[in-house]
Amino acid sequence: MMPVGEQRWEMLERIGAYAAGELEGEVAREVEQLIFERPDYRRLAESYARMLVMLTTLGNEPVEAPEAVVGYAIRRAYVSAFLRGAEDFIGALGRSYLNAFVYYLGLRRESYGGGT
Amino acid sequence: MSSASGSAPDQALAIRASRGDVEAFRQLVEEHSGLVYRVSLRILGINDAQDASQEVWVRVWRNIKNFRGDSAFSTWLYRITVNTCLSVRRKESRRSEKEYSGDEMPFLPEPPGGDADPEAAALSAERRVEIQAALGHVRAEHRAALVLRHMEGLSYAEIARVLDVPDGTAKGWVSRGRAAMLIALVEEDHGRAGGTAG
Repeated sequence: MMPVGEQRWEMLERIGAYAAGELEGEVAREVEQLIFERPDYRRLAESYARMLVMLTTLGNEPVEAPEAVVGYAIRRAYVSAFLRGAEDFIGALGRSYLNAFVYYLGLRRESYGGGT
Repeated sequence: MSSASGSAPDQALAIRASRGDVEAFRQLVEEHSGLVYRVSLRILGINDAQDASQEVWVRVWRNIKNFRGDSAFSTWLYRITVNTCLSVRRKESRRSEKEYSGDEMPFLPEPPGGDADPEAAALSAERRVEIQAALGHVRAEHRAALVLRHMEGLSYAEIARVLDVPDGTAKGWVSRGRAAMLIALVEEDHGRAGGTAG
């Protein structure tokens, strides 16, 4: 048998689901009947409905991110893209110098520039 | 309220950003910074929301090359935002969740003018503080699910994708979050009433 606390919690969740309009069919009718019969369940359903209205109202209010967030994100991306580009450039330059040096020492037969 | 439906321009911008196009990334930031900040604010509260939002965008830029457009960009963004918020929360000591003794049902008092009163429907500054405080007492995963469902208006399938859990788990987390939120809100309300009376 389920302990009283657990039963209460289950009922608490079920009435919450009913108030949110998430129950259907037989389960919804059962809960409706309980709410009709018991004033404490009715008050609970009303409390849920009130809370959900508050959450929805708050959720619908426009929220703007502080300018600092937007500015920081964009600056970081530009800096990161610049560093990435610089890294690629320096890497390519380094490889080119190395190739030229190898060619200069005569360690590779093919001509500099990748030709045969 | 928004939902995680995909938009073609977002997908195109994300694909361009994934190839290193910073201008496309800038447009995405400007378009979606509200979503990231709003969700961070609801999950973490005002003190941590700004830092978390910045961290989200750093992660987005770092990982956008992995975005393949299989899901909507907003779903991907929600996922990074929620994961960042949950990792911030994990670093901190666990907040106390309001205990439910099961002795009596939690009830919110009726607003002074009744439910039909339009003024009562508008949230006072005090009520906002209470809601944010109550959210802070809901377990982080359940809170994230609750915020996505009842404040962001996402479907259970979308929540499951964002949280990377099965649909049933997403439903369970929302349900538990809803119940825990009501208990915490009632406690906050009692605390306020007690404070006012005292």
